[in-house]
Amino acid sequence: MTHPHLPPSPGGPPHPETSAGAPPLPNTPADAPARPDYRPGSADPRLNRPMRERYPQIRATSGYGDPRVRHTGPGPGAGSEQEPERSAKLTARLVLALSVVIGQLWALTITVNEWMKGDTSTAWWGAGFLCLSFLAVLLLWLLDPKDR
Amino acid sequence: MSTVQPPSPGDIETPPGAGDAQAALHDRISADSLTTRRDYLRIVATVSGGLAVGGLAVAGGVLHRHGEPAGGGVPQAKKIADGLPPGESLSFRYPGEEDRAVAVRLEDGSLVGYSAVCTHLACAVLWRKDRGREGELYCPCHEGIFDARTGEVTAGPPPRGLPKVVVVEEQNGSIWAIGTTRSGESVEAGLCRQLLDERPDFAARVGCPGAATQQAPGVDPRQQSRQT
Repeated sequence: MTHPHLPPSPGGPPHPETSAGAPPLPNTPADAPARPDYRPGSADPRLNRPMRERYPQIRATSGYGDPRVRHTGPGPGAGSEQEPERSAKLTARLVLALSVVIGQLWALTITVNEWMKGDTSTAWWGAGFLCLSFLAVLLLWLLDPKDR
Repeated sequence: MSTVQPPSPGDIETPPGAGDAQAALHDRISADSLTTRRDYLRIVATVSGGLAVGGLAVAGGVLHRHGEPAGGGVPQAKKIADGLPPGESLSFRYPGEEDRAVAVRLEDGSLVGYSAVCTHLACAVLWRKDRGREGELYCPCHEGIFDARTGEVTAGPPPRGLPKVVVVEEQNGSIWAIGTTRSGESVEAGLCRQLLDERPDFAARVGCPGAATQQAPGVDPRQQSRQT
């Protein structure tokens, strides 16, 4: 069975839905409609379901929960991230947020220590640092709210 | 690629006769949930917010400083013993009944007092006269060691020195606790800090910096006591 969103076979008739989402072929006329804005996921809502619903055989824990599963599909990267740049950005945001939280843990020890020594002004500076760090993490979290 | 939809999760059954091991594996796989990096980012943001709130609470004074009166101000003087021989220690509660403290008479006759709550994790601090050059204040929980003469940390994980308890000896040999200091604070600075707010006349008499210079009409008899 052929998927309705796949490009047509070389000898077959052109598929009406492929002209909008696929890159223009060499013989595409110049007045072809512009490519639509990128939207993560598929135009078919059925395919945007969580991966565990689309592929229940693979299981939600593929790669670590089931020792029999090492890859999520027959090809490299199948069934997982299709855009490595976006994945790298997400990983970078997570790493930055974790670094900030580690700094917050250090600042909290300083704040407690200074307050117990009676230096309340330094303790308030520490509290301010903790709040600014939280705002930084919040910014990292909200940096790309459209990301799925 | 195929558009044939896979069967629903309920259709996946453990083959009959597969055994308990496979059934257990099936249960474990079904019970685990996938945590994505976005979930982690949300969790990290939540933890970060909690730390920020905790920092504000600490700076606002939610923690109790060990050895400090609950309501602030000058703690009441308290007689803790009729005498203390050299090399011996005395455990007592000051200024409140929850504040453990220890007074020590060093071999040279000096009388010192400290909060007996370790600044690391609040274990009890013990006097060990057999350790160190002239004895040590020792926390057995994590091997924290405090100098017997100054209360500063000499070894172990405590982050700051012990708060002092100001102990004085009367002419008749009785020992009184008359005040407390914070970690790293000198006896003079601690007493003056407490006296400046509530008894500025007495603070001026004992020469606290920043106190008015007028003399107080009434003088506490323990002002005459000797701190050794």
